[in-house]
Amino acid sequence: MLQLQPQNLLVQKTFGEAVEAFRDGNPLTLDRIVSDFDSTTLHISNAEGNKGLLYLSIRTRAWSSVQRCGSSGGLEEFLEAKYKTQPGVSVASTVESGYDYTLEVDLNVLQPESVVQLSLIKTLVLSYPFQLAFDEFAQLSNTPDSQSQTLHTVQYRDDENLFIKPANDRITAIFETAFQDETDKVFGKVFLQEFVDARKRNRAIQSAPQVLFSHEPPLEIQAHLQANRTLDSSRRFVTFVLFPRHFQTPELQFSTISQLTLFRNYFHYHIKCSKAYMHSRMRFRVDSFIKVLNRAKLDDEDDEDEEQVSHTRRTITGRKVVY
Amino acid sequence: MSQSLRPYLTAVRYSLEAALTLSNFSSLEVERHNRPEVEVPNTSAELLLQPMHISRNENEQVLIEPSVNSVRVSIKVKQADEIEHILVHKFTRFLEHSAESFYVLRRTAMPGYSISFLITNKHTESMKTGKLVDFIIEFMEEVDKEISEIKLFLNARARFVAEAYLGEFVY
Repeated sequence: MLQLQPQNLLVQKTFGEAVEAFRDGNPLTLDRIVSDFDSTTLHISNAEGNKGLLYLSIRTRAWSSVQRCGSSGGLEEFLEAKYKTQPGVSVASTVESGYDYTLEVDLNVLQPESVVQLSLIKTLVLSYPFQLAFDEFAQLSNTPDSQSQTLHTVQYRDDENLFIKPANDRITAIFETAFQDETDKVFGKVFLQEFVDARKRNRAIQSAPQVLFSHEPPLEIQAHLQANRTLDSSRRFVTFVLFPRHFQTPELQFSTISQLTLFRNYFHYHIKCSKAYMHSRMRFRVDSFIKVLNRAKLDDEDDEDEEQVSHTRRTITGRKVVY
Repeated sequence: MSQSLRPYLTAVRYSLEAALTLSNFSSLEVERHNRPEVEVPNTSAELLLQPMHISRNENEQVLIEPSVNSVRVSIKVKQADEIEHILVHKFTRFLEHSAESFYVLRRTAMPGYSISFLITNKHTESMKTGKLVDFIIEFMEEVDKEISEIKLFLNARARFVAEAYLGEFVY
């Protein structure tokens, strides 16, 4: 598995099962908590007394910061607009306590395409600030020499942020990231360097967004950061520069957003994978060293000598017959 | 194999062969004890022999400390950058964890070295000395090779992963 998928597979499967069981006439009783990357929790449960109605609630670390990006109530409107077009999906009248957003799903009319949309809810929440940036870009590009003061901040983990800055010819997405583990820090440096160099080296991906990597906060967010807090040295800033070709159509916008929101997960996932491979490789190597050392033992040769002299009898599995 | 590695390994091989002439020796201080004299505090100077220090450069060194019934061999594995440092640390930790099946491996390395072996007269009695020396030489060769292979793998993977990720943006 090389690429991570933007949708949550378990949510997709749960709804698939629920629809199938409902059509067969014995609806499922569901109360399922599903977790996703970056301390996101999804809760799927039945409506009281009506098994044809399901609730899907989401709680995510990024919610409060995403909410602050636009005008008040903008995020809810954005999500409602996305889900309004899906048959069987509507916004619940009350938000489930302990969660940020709740959708009501009617199994009677739910379509398979809507199930996919439901499993994309986390990506959709994170796509709101991007959408705002795309909209602002459209305005700015009409008036040359205009500067935008907007800077969207998404705090998607406790100490890691995503900054989105629209300008009149591009959109910059800056990931602020920190490594907890010393080893991850070193391996992360190797990986990040390759992200920066990949575009220069490989002609096939020349049109991908430019990636920059620095220890210092980039100019776009420097003023903002210094106002907020002091920086420690373990921070890294990864900048993606998106050009209009990356968000020309809604489909392109969606795939760009889902790739970018998964950047940290993808990157850490592959660090973990390489560590796992190294472990298994080192284990194998340790075994081969033991074999070399065992060659030095005297016992083996003694056995052979003994065999030649007295013709020790062995069973078919190679064990010695002891008289 | 590079030009300077061959003489380095040859020097280690001959020094080890010279050092591995061990005999059974009961402790002079504690009755009915038989301990590796190189490992215990020692008041009798004649039990410890002259340590041999073979150095290829400041990053690759071998220290052989012989005594009457045991030899301690400490190896410093090349660590050019912080990635290699981590890899060597991981690898030696793996080895030390399985010291039980390695017989001659010391559970902790001497300070300043990556890994240490302790060969006692029991080992030379139950194993062929020549093969034991072969093992240590092969170990030194293989560790360097393994570390650089893993490092190359890490770079190759990082490159592949980055290209695969950015490839998704190409429309």
